[in-house]
Amino acid sequence: MLKAKRLAGAMALALGMAAAGQVQAANWVMLQGTEADGMGERAKLWGFLQPTYRSTDGTVLPAGPWEGQPMQPNMIPTDLSSDSQFQLLRARIGVRGVAMPIDSKVNYFLLAEFGDNGITAGKGGAGVISDASVTLNHIPGARVRLGLFKTPMSEEIFQGVGTMDYVNFTAFTDQQLNERHLPTDGLAPCNAAADDAYLRYCEEGNTFSDFGAARDTGAMVFDAFRRGDWEHTYAVMLGNGSGVNAGNTDDNLDTRAYWSSEWIFGGQGPRREGWKLYAWMHDGKRTVLDSVQLAAGNRVENEYDYERSGVGTTYRRGKYRFFAEYNQAEGMIFNGTDGGAVAGSVNNAGTAVSTLNLLPEDKANGYYLDFGYKITPKVELDVRYDVLNRGTETDVEERKFETVTLGAQYFFNRKSRLIVNYEMRDLEAPNLPANAVPNQIGEAIDDRLSVQVFMVF
Amino acid sequence: MKRHTFFAAFFAVFLIAVSGASSAFAAETSSKPFAEKHVVLQISDEDPFKQTLVLNVANNLIKHYGPDKVDIEIVAFGPGLRLLFSDNANRGRIGDLSQQGVRFAACENTIANMSRILGEEPVLNDKAVRVSAGVVRILDLEADGYTLIRP
Repeated sequence: MLKAKRLAGAMALALGMAAAGQVQAANWVMLQGTEADGMGERAKLWGFLQPTYRSTDGTVLPAGPWEGQPMQPNMIPTDLSSDSQFQLLRARIGVRGVAMPIDSKVNYFLLAEFGDNGITAGKGGAGVISDASVTLNHIPGARVRLGLFKTPMSEEIFQGVGTMDYVNFTAFTDQQLNERHLPTDGLAPCNAAADDAYLRYCEEGNTFSDFGAARDTGAMVFDAFRRGDWEHTYAVMLGNGSGVNAGNTDDNLDTRAYWSSEWIFGGQGPRREGWKLYAWMHDGKRTVLDSVQLAAGNRVENEYDYERSGVGTTYRRGKYRFFAEYNQAEGMIFNGTDGGAVAGSVNNAGTAVSTLNLLPEDKANGYYLDFGYKITPKVELDVRYDVLNRGTETDVEERKFETVTLGAQYFFNRKSRLIVNYEMRDLEAPNLPANAVPNQIGEAIDDRLSVQVFMVF
Repeated sequence: MKRHTFFAAFFAVFLIAVSGASSAFAAETSSKPFAEKHVVLQISDEDPFKQTLVLNVANNLIKHYGPDKVDIEIVAFGPGLRLLFSDNANRGRIGDLSQQGVRFAACENTIANMSRILGEEPVLNDKAVRVSAGVVRILDLEADGYTLIRP
């Protein structure tokens, strides 16, 4: 009922704004969902490449049942087989445009991923369609986008990859917004004595069955409106809540809403200068198997709330840019792996397999402050401070991730650049003694060096 | 004699009427009496970059010569007619250039063809003036001393 009221409110607001006319200005909702009126191409080929190198010291687990084994945060995703690795983090190619150029009212957007990341993990190395949508621009003030596409939310993950100033996401975005759809809650330990059916889920360490990647399949109503120097944008969406290329896994639909207001200083496109304020929310349900019941041989599904929301601001003008966000999560909190080990690895006693875990009814919050300054037209220096408080409702489970990222970007030209990041990472269990195993493990988390070349075409 | 006078008068009225109806731009062209350069810009490509380019060229000409010293008409036909659709993303720039005396001609033949495909006539920018055929308009302007530029 509450969802319906929120949706109705957003729609009423949208239709009210529609009376005031529409604009075709550049922001992420509009840039990703529409083609410029009267200027769309029949089929614009585009894409980007991100060859990347990442490295840590590879410090092993200092304590716990997996002591001496690789520590999951010190390994390089997605295969977690090494602490230093070259990889093609993203390699995407797609087409977008207007199938019939003299009719700007129907747009399309198609993109496929060939890189090494969560979207392609477990897909056998084949390309995966990450985006495929059609936008209908027939109703003034209420454009409609249908299909699989990036959902409006936190600026950090919603923005186009082309303007991401860092190689890696903040801890909150990586863990709580880039959703891993897990088959079980992972609460029961996977031990050798467990039921065969449950062991099947343990073999791959509860590898995620689907990956969110800030995308969903559904329908979105949206538009942007210009008022003098201000541009206001809204989006309301219903979706499966299942991430990339997955059908609705239960009978529930997710609801999303987004609003932004930006004071535009000048320019256009992805790096338009302005000061933006925005807020977003995402409500849904998730159904997972009860691991305790599964271990006992019973297949029981439980349904939990999945709620995410946040507020933020971006400022970009001349040499300076400043971004800040506060986000929170309730339900289906991603909770790392057993013992901090790489998921799927067996403990030293040979009695348990480390799995990906959830805290289905817990909470998390996080924020970041991000500042960039161009010292020359080709060189930008960046610094970001981010915090993730995970499992805040359970003393023994609560973890605090604190990261300072130093960065530098060298712009070869408008289409390509080099990004170098050094992350100083801290992890602690604030409610446990300093010598408790989780805190010993937290002490072992390494700094991380990342070097990436980005090129869009 | 009376008959000759009658025919001469009738012919003169006919000529005036025909010339007034066939060229809506005639009066506007003369609104730049001090123009030293006369340029017709052709936009007939589907590529949206060409839309930006043709507007940039017009703008650069005005900046270089000054709005009173250069007389510019942009003739749109074929796929290039999209530039003159009312919702085109460049409509703001078109409005600005129009205020500086740039004229915009829309090809009637193209409008007819697009109307057949779309099932309805495309809505044009209110700055666009229809001409019977874009190519003919360009030839006529060239005959009047205009220089054709196709960016």
